[in-house]
Amino acid sequence: MSIPVHHDIQPTDIVVELQGVCKTYRQRQRSERLGDALRTLLRPRIREVHALADVDLTIRRGEIVAYAGPNGAGKSTTVKLLTGLLHPDAGQVRVLGMDPVKQRIPCVSRIGIVFGQRTELWWDHPVAATFEWKRVVWDIPRPRFERMRETVKELLGLGDFFHSLARELSLGQRMRADLGLALLHEPELLFLDEPTIGVDVLAKRQIIQFIKELNREQGVTVLLTSHDMAELEQLAGRIVMLAQGRIAFDSDFAQLRRTYADRRVLVLHTTGDTAPALPGAELISSENGSHEYHYDAGSARLTDLLKTAEAQTEVLDVESHRGSIDEVIADIYESWQRGDAAIR
Amino acid sequence: MAGRIRQLFRLWRVQAYLDFLWMTRDARYFLICFICDTIINIGTVTAMLLVAARFDGIGPWTRDQAFFMLGYGSVVRGVVNIFCGFNIFHISRRIGRGQLDHTLIIPQPLWLILLTEGFTPIQSSCSLIPGSALLCWSIPRLALNVTPGWVALFLLNLLASVLIMVAVAFLWGSIAFWAPRAAEEINTDVDGALEQIKVFPLDGLGPLLLGSFVTVFPIGLLAWYPSQALLGLRPAAGLLLTPLLAVAWVALAAFVFSRGLRHYVHTGSSRYSAYGHRS
Repeated sequence: MSIPVHHDIQPTDIVVELQGVCKTYRQRQRSERLGDALRTLLRPRIREVHALADVDLTIRRGEIVAYAGPNGAGKSTTVKLLTGLLHPDAGQVRVLGMDPVKQRIPCVSRIGIVFGQRTELWWDHPVAATFEWKRVVWDIPRPRFERMRETVKELLGLGDFFHSLARELSLGQRMRADLGLALLHEPELLFLDEPTIGVDVLAKRQIIQFIKELNREQGVTVLLTSHDMAELEQLAGRIVMLAQGRIAFDSDFAQLRRTYADRRVLVLHTTGDTAPALPGAELISSENGSHEYHYDAGSARLTDLLKTAEAQTEVLDVESHRGSIDEVIADIYESWQRGDAAIR
Repeated sequence: MAGRIRQLFRLWRVQAYLDFLWMTRDARYFLICFICDTIINIGTVTAMLLVAARFDGIGPWTRDQAFFMLGYGSVVRGVVNIFCGFNIFHISRRIGRGQLDHTLIIPQPLWLILLTEGFTPIQSSCSLIPGSALLCWSIPRLALNVTPGWVALFLLNLLASVLIMVAVAFLWGSIAFWAPRAAEEINTDVDGALEQIKVFPLDGLGPLLLGSFVTVFPIGLLAWYPSQALLGLRPAAGLLLTPLLAVAWVALAAFVFSRGLRHYVHTGSSRYSAYGHRS
């Protein structure tokens, strides 16, 4: 069954707009010393954490945008701002042309929200009962509700546990049920905050396929956060990366690899146990004649590396492949922590 | 407005449907819960009931008048339980655990969600049994002139007492907006104080304490004062005191809660726990 098309997709439509958005949290600071505890009782020491600092972001209708960054980068703060759960300290937030705090009701009636670590399901009731509850509370017309219920049941494979109590579901089943629930009112914009956290590969694949199909056939705009970069790369056409509350990168994944390093992995199997020295490649491990190197394809050529290796030892076998996106991202995060990467 | 009222009843109906599903899920479990809750509810008034029965009254209250007051207070509690389940009454838990986020993503006015999401007419109905029984037993023995007007005033005072009880809970519970961790369970303590004191006849207290119990900490308005007014032990104008003060309490609670909500939306919830959410 395919998802019915009902939205007119106009690529120029802006559905999310952040302009100069700032959000600062205040944290109390205390040391373990007793004297300090008494001093801070009278004069609290406050540290300001800039979760978002002058962020500009625009998302057009029909896009799938991956929103990534290390812990504490400001991802969840952004999702909370966009869903009306948080008000910015400065700047403007517009979602579907509305202020999500001041126009909460019309705004949330057109968006769908899934928080991976929270559930909207009624814990002691079957999934079917929560769906019915949502129909009434969201005031969804019955024909539309029934059509969407059948669609999500089939595409997300909810049939097997649709009448099971929510508290008896596995994490993957619960996530799929939550995702289906979030779509019953046919939202134009979907916020997914770590939707696959903790779920197994099969459930993850189902969720990814479903989101892609939803976007392709129904034109639903999706903003998703995740720490699983491979998943984001499969899903999103665009990646926005946050670092220390600022947008540090905003383009596609190919550009991300080109910008930050086209990391490749080279594994050499040699007759000797000593790893050949390869200028331009970093030796990662060496064991029983099997040596793994990382190198940047932009600055070193594979043929040159192989020639250098063969000059030093007999090479029995060669494996070479691109580094995983997780490794690229880990390098980027590490460089941001060192402060040696230019912001955008 | 008519649309809102229709929506209000639709939401109550769907909550009642969930409550019915809960009951029919495991009839034996439901029966055990129902009996236990009934016993607990009887237990809250038993001490005063036995004192009133043993000494044929308490202070200026005759036995039947004391039974009426206990019944009134118990019904107030029952109505609160029926409309304010799922931690609506213990709102500090929802706020302190960051669960208000779930409420804010529902496209309905906040007051409508809070008024309907805790509706549990079946599982909480047991808390109406002891109070209703006491009222049914005492009213015929009190030689009251039960006219439609008296019944209307009884219901008005009952509603006012319920509103005051909920308003007090929301007022105290709002502290959790500013101190989510420390005040998460503040409603449990406030509720305990209300439950323990509200069944006592407050006659004999000094004017300062008595005055504070019908104003700033309105325990006297949950059973004692409205019962006196309904039994004709106060001037007729006293029948309007509880409803009038209920308006003031609801306005104050709504004001403080809205200020707290504004703070919540500006600072965000720094913690989240799913414990007790929709379960």
